[in-house]
Amino acid sequence: MIERDSTLSPLLLNRRTLLVGAAATTLAGGARPAGAALRLDVTQGNVQPMPIALPDFIGGTPGDMEGGRGVTEVITANLRRSGLFAPIDQAAYIERIANIDVMPRFDDWRPLNAQALVTGRITRQGDGRLKAEFRLWDVFAGQQLMGQQYFSTPDNWRRIAHIISDAVYERLTGEKGYFDTRIVFIDETGPKERRIKRLAIMDQDGAGVRYLTRGDDLVLTPRFSPSTQEITYMAYGQGDPRVYLLNIETGQREIVGNFPGMTFAPRFSPDGQRVIMSLQQGGNANIFVMDLRSKTTTRLTDSPAIDTAPSYSPDGSRICFESDRGGSQQIYLMAAGGGGAQRISFGEGSYSTPVWSPRGDYIAFTKRGRGSFGIGVITPDGKNERLLTEGYHNEGPTWAPNGRVLMFFRDPGGNAGPALFTIDITGRNEQRIPTPSYASDPAWSPLLS
Amino acid sequence: MGLTISVIGHAAALLWCAVSFGAKPYNAAPIDALPVDIISATEFSQMTAGSKTAPKTAPPKALVEKVAEAKPVDNPAAKVTEKPEIVSAFAPEPKPEPEAKPEPKPKEAEKKVAPAKPDPIAEALKKDEAKKPEPKKQEAKVPAPPKKPPPPQQKFDPKQIEQRLALLDKREAQRHAATGDVLNPTVGLGTSTGTAPRLSQNEIDALRARLRECWNLPAGAQDAKDLNVEVRIMLRQDGSLSADPTVLNRSANPFFQVAAESALRAVRTCAPFSFLPIAKYEAWKDIEINFDPQYMFRS
Repeated sequence: MIERDSTLSPLLLNRRTLLVGAAATTLAGGARPAGAALRLDVTQGNVQPMPIALPDFIGGTPGDMEGGRGVTEVITANLRRSGLFAPIDQAAYIERIANIDVMPRFDDWRPLNAQALVTGRITRQGDGRLKAEFRLWDVFAGQQLMGQQYFSTPDNWRRIAHIISDAVYERLTGEKGYFDTRIVFIDETGPKERRIKRLAIMDQDGAGVRYLTRGDDLVLTPRFSPSTQEITYMAYGQGDPRVYLLNIETGQREIVGNFPGMTFAPRFSPDGQRVIMSLQQGGNANIFVMDLRSKTTTRLTDSPAIDTAPSYSPDGSRICFESDRGGSQQIYLMAAGGGGAQRISFGEGSYSTPVWSPRGDYIAFTKRGRGSFGIGVITPDGKNERLLTEGYHNEGPTWAPNGRVLMFFRDPGGNAGPALFTIDITGRNEQRIPTPSYASDPAWSPLLS
Repeated sequence: MGLTISVIGHAAALLWCAVSFGAKPYNAAPIDALPVDIISATEFSQMTAGSKTAPKTAPPKALVEKVAEAKPVDNPAAKVTEKPEIVSAFAPEPKPEPEAKPEPKPKEAEKKVAPAKPDPIAEALKKDEAKKPEPKKQEAKVPAPPKKPPPPQQKFDPKQIEQRLALLDKREAQRHAATGDVLNPTVGLGTSTGTAPRLSQNEIDALRARLRECWNLPAGAQDAKDLNVEVRIMLRQDGSLSADPTVLNRSANPFFQVAAESALRAVRTCAPFSFLPIAKYEAWKDIEINFDPQYMFRS
């Protein structure tokens, strides 16, 4: 495991820096000095990514040089993929960082327009553990923004890099990071007619793919539990498709509930204690919730329509789901205990697979209409509907734990198969996630640490 | 015959018209748009009149305190004796002991000079030229001139010193301030009130555009209310920051710290604002900027 040992003390080399820092914080609440000659409103900003310099982490000993470079490469790739940072090419760097415990020469970094600078050091210690230290600098203010060190086993170096990426991301954007996370997805191999579908898991950047099932059964819609140790998914075994629970670490698998008929579209509650899903009985489907400890099930909807794809709000008080009770598939909200549902989507076409953002502000959905599938978001009050991407086939949105990025899969049609993509909630920065073969049905884990 | 010529002529003329006019369509070359603010005379005077609510400042120091008067030039020699002793800050020279020391010095000089030094070169010359007849005698007398009495100036006379000093500085003692033809009530670059120069709308827009370029919106600012950051900056005449920018407001929003840092970074990255007109320095030496992201993400 990874321990965060301590916070590196800021380097305060001269009084001025100290005073400036103090002024910036204390004055914020202080009395307003009167009488500026000119007042100006700036209501538009730059949405260009922030230029950031990431020189290779130095090795504490000569043998650690390679490790340092690897960590820097992972951090650089993470920040670039987020779309909010523009790492500057290392060839442009003027200063060569040789010691992270002294102030960098900010005058060497300003001409590159680097607004932030990350310096770090990787040291393999006597007890075999790896020590990673880093400092984040505000280049134009000439100040240290943060400094931290971590200890872990050497084979955990990728996770250390992801954790440092999260720290930098959070300090500079104000948002929680999402790099120290994993993705569970359906790996698809073989020809279109006889596709083999296996459950697989990987880091959010596509590294470290591991297969969880052998491909005997057809698996669909995996979802992470908040504990990140378990996933729930649906599989066609012998007979009816069923919802399963799988422990990632132990490989232990069990069927959720014992219902007559088909169960599908499972999802964990935010506290991880319950699984909510659909149960098909005859021509219609209703939503049930099962408590994982007591194994008691509760019926939440009772309609002659197909109610499916339920998803809890982050506080667990409400549920959004898809239903065709009004004629076409639309998104409805109801209280977590069931009862009256209220329709929130009113656009053209049909809406499916609603997923509530971990931040609570949006519900993501798949929208079908006019011959294309799009991924969009809508606020829980039914306003501000916005399509982020549209095309031949886009489906299955899943939120990053910070509620800022969505992952989904896209099938280009023809003989090709689906692939995983991420998109920012603004609709910008669409990125393909590398997978060993075709991939679909992604589910994003919560932060691992 | 005439008809034929006429027909042919007209046809030719028509053809020429059709070809020449038809082939060249009207070419209205697009002119670069020049943004212009249209304002009325009232607006203009309001813009330039200064604001009623502006805080009062102490009246600016006049550069010139006194208008120089053209004085008739006196005859210095005539007035020297009448003038009292001049008290000058710069002339302490005449004071030290006017009587005792200066006198003995010239005498000593005389004494020293009197015994003609044997000049080795002259001696050598003598020896050389001893063989030669007449003209040497004059040369041999060369050492003689030092016997001349010292020049009369050396004789110290306190009155003379006074006279000399009077010759040097005939002006009345006065403060060292600039003089000019007209009293100048304002400092050269204008004041922050009244008829002081103001930045034109275009200049403000240029400043705003520059800040916009430098401001990397914090990602967390999306959908955020109360996340505006007010920053006060002080500038030097060359447009660089004369002090570190300060944040004037605060907010309970958890993203506020990041938002404030992004605003400060924008200002620091942008500086220096060298494009601001120096003639209007008073208008931009102290600026309050309100960075407000809430209109950015409306879609």
